[in-house]
Amino acid sequence: MLVEEAFLQLQEQFPDVEMKYGKTDNYLGNSGLVRVYPSSEQQISAILKYANENGKTVSVEGNGTKRGFGGLTETADILVSLSRYKGIVEHTVGDMTVTVKSGTVFRELQGFLAKYNQQVSLDPSWPEDATIGGVIASNDSGPKRLGYGSARDAVIGLRVVYPDGSIIRTGGKVVKNVAGYDTNKLFIGSMGTIGIITEITLKLRPSPKAESLSLLSFPDANLKEIHSFVVDLLDSMIEPISLELLNPKLSKNLTGTEQYTLVVGFEDVKSSVDYQINKLKDLKPQNSELNILQDEELRAFWDRLSCMIPNGKRVSSSNQTEACVKIGVKNLDVVQVIRESDLLQDSFNLKVSAHGGLGHGICQVNLLGAQEDVALAISRLREVVESYHGYLIAKHLSLALRHKIDVWGDKPTYFFLFEGIKKKIDPNRVLNEKRFVGGI
Amino acid sequence: MPKLKTKDKHIKKLAEIVKGPNSILYLKEDLLAYDCDGFTIHKHLPKAVVFPKDTEEVAAIVKYCDANNLPFLARGAGTGLSGGAIPLNGEVIISLVRMKRLISVDTENRRAVVEPGFVNLKLTNSISDRGYYYAPDPSSQYCCTIGGNVAENAGGAHCLKYGVTTNHILGLEVVLPNGEIIEISSDGIPDAPGYDLLGILTGSEGTLGIVTKITVRILKNPEEKQTVLAYFDKVSDGSHAVSDIISAGIVPAALEMMDKIAIEAVEAAAFPVGHPKDIEALLLIEVDGVSAGIDEQINQILEVCKRRNVREVKVAQDEQERGRWWANRKTGFGAMGAISPDYLVQDGVIPRSKLPEVLGRINQISEEFGLRIANIFHAGDGNLHPLVLFDAKKPGDTDKALKAGSACLKVCADVGGSITGEHGVGIEKKEEMRFIFSDEEIMAQTNVREVFNPNNLLNAGKLFPTPGRCIEMKSDVNEPLSS
Repeated sequence: MLVEEAFLQLQEQFPDVEMKYGKTDNYLGNSGLVRVYPSSEQQISAILKYANENGKTVSVEGNGTKRGFGGLTETADILVSLSRYKGIVEHTVGDMTVTVKSGTVFRELQGFLAKYNQQVSLDPSWPEDATIGGVIASNDSGPKRLGYGSARDAVIGLRVVYPDGSIIRTGGKVVKNVAGYDTNKLFIGSMGTIGIITEITLKLRPSPKAESLSLLSFPDANLKEIHSFVVDLLDSMIEPISLELLNPKLSKNLTGTEQYTLVVGFEDVKSSVDYQINKLKDLKPQNSELNILQDEELRAFWDRLSCMIPNGKRVSSSNQTEACVKIGVKNLDVVQVIRESDLLQDSFNLKVSAHGGLGHGICQVNLLGAQEDVALAISRLREVVESYHGYLIAKHLSLALRHKIDVWGDKPTYFFLFEGIKKKIDPNRVLNEKRFVGGI
Repeated sequence: MPKLKTKDKHIKKLAEIVKGPNSILYLKEDLLAYDCDGFTIHKHLPKAVVFPKDTEEVAAIVKYCDANNLPFLARGAGTGLSGGAIPLNGEVIISLVRMKRLISVDTENRRAVVEPGFVNLKLTNSISDRGYYYAPDPSSQYCCTIGGNVAENAGGAHCLKYGVTTNHILGLEVVLPNGEIIEISSDGIPDAPGYDLLGILTGSEGTLGIVTKITVRILKNPEEKQTVLAYFDKVSDGSHAVSDIISAGIVPAALEMMDKIAIEAVEAAAFPVGHPKDIEALLLIEVDGVSAGIDEQINQILEVCKRRNVREVKVAQDEQERGRWWANRKTGFGAMGAISPDYLVQDGVIPRSKLPEVLGRINQISEEFGLRIANIFHAGDGNLHPLVLFDAKKPGDTDKALKAGSACLKVCADVGGSITGEHGVGIEKKEEMRFIFSDEEIMAQTNVREVFNPNNLLNAGKLFPTPGRCIEMKSDVNEPLSS
């Protein structure tokens, strides 16, 4: 069917829904022949029902920051954009919970909550562009998950439109709830393959009364020393909310110092933050250098770090290939992973920016260079990570590279359970085709 | 193998699978101890109880049951309060109490691996000399097992700050209902690619699989903790104090409340601490963390309490005093035995801001049914435990208590809450699932069950309402018609 024909058909079905067609810049894929911008849950439900009954495929996005994350198709029949489906549904200050529409931009949500001295304790990439729905569906997290956990710890309820158009609530609006299966968890990180999340209820935390960031750089690049320092630190009484190791290149970009650097964050009442900085000074190795950021400097640092990953919404200005991978290993194996990532620069002639959380085991590595080299480097890194029993997921790759590199790695032995879940919920494979593990 | 006093071929076969003496019970007098768990209102005898010693034995038992169409379920210490381990269908009970090893502790990476029969408190006791602990602390932690905690997604007094069981589970080994063994994130690495099976298994009340190995997160002991006890003449002052503490931006490790009847009971039971008898409510508040910030938070809490007309407020002077206060609170349910022949524990959750309203409505329910209702609850997260006092020997009293309990849950659901915060649905609250979920939503959940447990031999009849109307109809269609 011609695109124009498909467009007219959809327009006839859904006269109230804003929609567009025509070519888009498409090197990342995950687009749609027709792009629709529903503004209500009923519209989302009706569109999915239509697609399900008429054999159409649907791709889902918030603001498109993760267009390079998974998926093997350039374009589905319909792209459902949630960028018009936004706003706060309910915020009860005293209950410290918020219900928000999934297309709400993360930074806007935080801005709203800040007026009440509250926050969602997540620090995802590109907070100014990313929608809360996209953050939850892709399970994005940042360095502060050490202190506050990740999406699965913050989400207490969802409204989800299933591929057949039915609207299903999971969880609830209270912070503690074990009624029925914890089906919230199924949708967090499911990459939009089993439903479109329309509303999210989140547990909030009070905004920290004081915060500080200690940058501890290690001129000798002695990784054993970093390892043993971190062991001592984790075994001490201090409670950092981030403990992120940067490779020298990333450190240079963010701090101006081209050395392995540890980013130790504290958030608490002021007396506690000051006390912990003093403890850190006592513990730090003699030859390491400590630089403390506060206020504007601190915020600017976190902002720059959160915008490190290529943004699928913004067209890349580089003529080189950009890629980003997420790695999970045991907490302290992060030191080796960051080291090995750094070594890729010389082996493959790349620019590599890498950071990883020593208290939680999640790393993020950016690679920039010739396409072939990037592909080889990712394969090499995956081998290294798997030797540590970890995994590597490609969070941002061009569509061309996603055909060469398996975004999710090998299927686990229990893959049949994933398939079973997908088949039960989306038997016609309408949603986000092949965007997830093992071609789900 | 000792000679069996039975001709039942299944029992003989099962006895061959679980080797060693005393590995199977099948005589009625032995089975009586397994006819219920902590929820004692429904009772049913199992077919047999088997005690496997390792994962392979569990898998072999499950395979045998699956092949022979025998219903089965897993059981830990049997402390569950909603009937999740009651053999409604005459199940073969797979007791996991022999699988009770602490397999490994890795303090550097902050994790420990345990078998399902390992007792919750033993984990903390085993690592406290190294300065670590396991955070989820249900009141039954001295005897409940971590396997059971995973099944129920158990909470506890300290989950306000540290989260419930699901927030501390990093990996699981599971025997699926067809006997297949799978390992999910055995190294405890978070965010494993794929749907979050750890998340869906935790809290599935033993209906999706049998957990045989668990990797948990362990935490460093906080540098300091301080505990406050506050007595109020009015319940409303106590509940406002709860809101004010949270609004002040404090995240207490625990924030517990007891009302007058509950206080009467704990003071008449084994661990009295001398609470005044004429107060309407007490709060037990704990703050922990690095030492430098604690005093400031405690002072704020004391101020809040004073502003809310507290009669008396005190800070625990030492670990002994703190321990006494907690023993008094944690044995609160059992203490009801001191003032009533029987009691029924409920487990609703409400948005914190609805506390005064809901307590008023529970009071009305008490009057309406003519039964006393004590309230012990995790006020910080809105998790109420109304304890309905009754006398099972009085005709009709049990039924009245069940109805009063259900009415309390309806109130919780009506204000936007949930019917269970930590005890699970089990048998007890399956009909009440309809208070919060539509038929369609319940079917979305039973669809998930079908993926894991297609023959529904594992712990059937739990968690979801029966007869299920449209819900069970669908699966019935797939079953062969008997002639």
